[in-house]
Amino acid sequence: MASRTDNKRTVAGEVTPGVTAGAGAHEDAKVFRPSPIGWAARASFLLVVFGGLLVLPLILPGYRTFQYSYALIFAIVGLSVNVLSGYAGQISLGHQAFVGVGAFVSGNLVSEQHLSFWLALPLAAVSGGVAAGLLGLVALRLRGLYLALVTLAYGAVATASIFEIKSLTRGGAGMPAPRPAGFTSDRAYTYLVLGVFALVLWVDWRLVRSKVGRALFALRENEQVAASFGIDVTLYKVLAFVLSGFFAGVAGSLFAHWRTTVVASDFDFILALTFVLMAVVGGLGSRAGVVIGSAFFALLPVLLGTVTVKPFGLLALWVTAFGAALLLITLRFYPGGVGQQIQPLVRWASGGRLGLNSRAPAESAGGGSGVS
Amino acid sequence: MPPRSRPEAAVAFLEIEDLSIHFGGVRALDGVDLKVGEWEIVGLIGPNGAGKTTLFNCVTGFYRPDRGRVRYRGKDVTHMRPHRRAAMGFGRTFQQVGLVRSLTVMENLLVAQHARVRYTALEALVGVPGAFTEERELRRRAEGILDFLELSPVRDERIQGLPYGAQKLVELGAVLATEPDILLLDEPSSGMAPEEARTLGETLLRMRRELELTILMIEHHVPLVVGVCDHVFVLNFGRMLADGPPSEIQRHPEVIAAYLGEEAVDGPS
Repeated sequence: MASRTDNKRTVAGEVTPGVTAGAGAHEDAKVFRPSPIGWAARASFLLVVFGGLLVLPLILPGYRTFQYSYALIFAIVGLSVNVLSGYAGQISLGHQAFVGVGAFVSGNLVSEQHLSFWLALPLAAVSGGVAAGLLGLVALRLRGLYLALVTLAYGAVATASIFEIKSLTRGGAGMPAPRPAGFTSDRAYTYLVLGVFALVLWVDWRLVRSKVGRALFALRENEQVAASFGIDVTLYKVLAFVLSGFFAGVAGSLFAHWRTTVVASDFDFILALTFVLMAVVGGLGSRAGVVIGSAFFALLPVLLGTVTVKPFGLLALWVTAFGAALLLITLRFYPGGVGQQIQPLVRWASGGRLGLNSRAPAESAGGGSGVS
Repeated sequence: MPPRSRPEAAVAFLEIEDLSIHFGGVRALDGVDLKVGEWEIVGLIGPNGAGKTTLFNCVTGFYRPDRGRVRYRGKDVTHMRPHRRAAMGFGRTFQQVGLVRSLTVMENLLVAQHARVRYTALEALVGVPGAFTEERELRRRAEGILDFLELSPVRDERIQGLPYGAQKLVELGAVLATEPDILLLDEPSSGMAPEEARTLGETLLRMRRELELTILMIEHHVPLVVGVCDHVFVLNFGRMLADGPPSEIQRHPEVIAAYLGEEAVDGPS
């Protein structure tokens, strides 16, 4: 960077001013630390939640693990949307395209190029990132409704053109996407998806707790202020798209091999709408909320399918209607979504007070403000 | 302490030369010259709409001037992007509090250190141990600033829940966290009671003394300007009307006329 004298004193450096009258300020501000019993309670809670997620595939019957892994894949997509809409405050109505790109790249690499799944997965993620990054470059000049329209068009064009190229996607018949050796059963594949899901969670956690996430929060709210803090707004906006596309590509690859065939018709606009719905109902900006919301929407057809009496017939119609109703209820009554509801629990589990009326943690700061 | 008078030999720390910008038919700035020496506290005053904030926006890179130069430590930064200027040592506050309102005080002081963070974005996402270590370091430095401004008790409060005066103080803290060499303060005392403004003046003097800062500030509160500024520039209708030590400026007939809303003796032609 530019010339700066590095021998100058800084506020919090070695020469922390001792003349301040606020020497006792540290004592005033009580930083809450749980008691040993409190820590044990939190640890056992987390153990039950994460242990439960791990043990579940062993308990569930085979066809249920198939649904379970589907829910996990949706959760990854939800986290992908959350990075873009929740953290960075950008909207995407073309997310099905990034998932689709990931799915087709993964299927093509394994079936046509005879690459290992373990190589195809990261490459699918990268192609999802590139596809979203290109959209991000467009998004630099647009916001709000115009951005929404462009992402919608981008998604529609991608699914209607790229996914119809026969040599790449084998057209309507679909591209086979076999599962890797050792993970061909639904139960084993669920563990594979769980492992990837854990990695995505880790990256998302590090994102929020580092300069990257903070930069996104800042630019979501005020680009001028972000720039005055030294944040390259252009770079980080594109980065949000790339990262979101990366997660979507991962989810796409997992989806392809979950289904074992990739068909273009899977990635229609309704899917993109579902992605936005589940992130908003889950609670933009809230990791746990978005995961729960996404899993719920993934399993909604299953849940509604068990209801035997269905006026007006079609299940898909019911899913859409139900989703729309949930969206309205969320926007009207709980703009922070599921995340807002479970926020005291999340705060408690991460070492804070349960206090139902106190402030929200940083991570749920998005609180529905992302979509506008 | 730096000298209170303005020595001619003072090397210009920040130098604005012939700066002009227009919006549609309005000449917001017209051939403005301004110099700030190292360690100086310089005031920028003028009636509403005189172009003070526009000048700040040109200096910090949010506006691109039609004509003229901005030099910082002899380097031409006229066309440098805002975040790069911030990294070079430009610290800036806003008329509307320049903070991330949905985040807490502590989180704002962490965001503000963005340009000082050494780990890369990729290292952050992978979660290398060095990134964890540095995060703790950032937190420690933020605590130091909170102590300096006696803000520790509100560490975990969200900005939007704080009173306006406290927000302005946190904003100052956030700007300090960027480790600036020069501060551009846009009405730092707005929304403050006279007593708070007096304390602010002491804080500004202390910041110069202890942190070796140079300050250019837009300010209306006369006691504050007289109390801390070494030199004052007066902007009126986008032109520099006068400049001099605060005591002189206070008695300057054209300045008085401008503030009373009359046409200046030989105002803009």
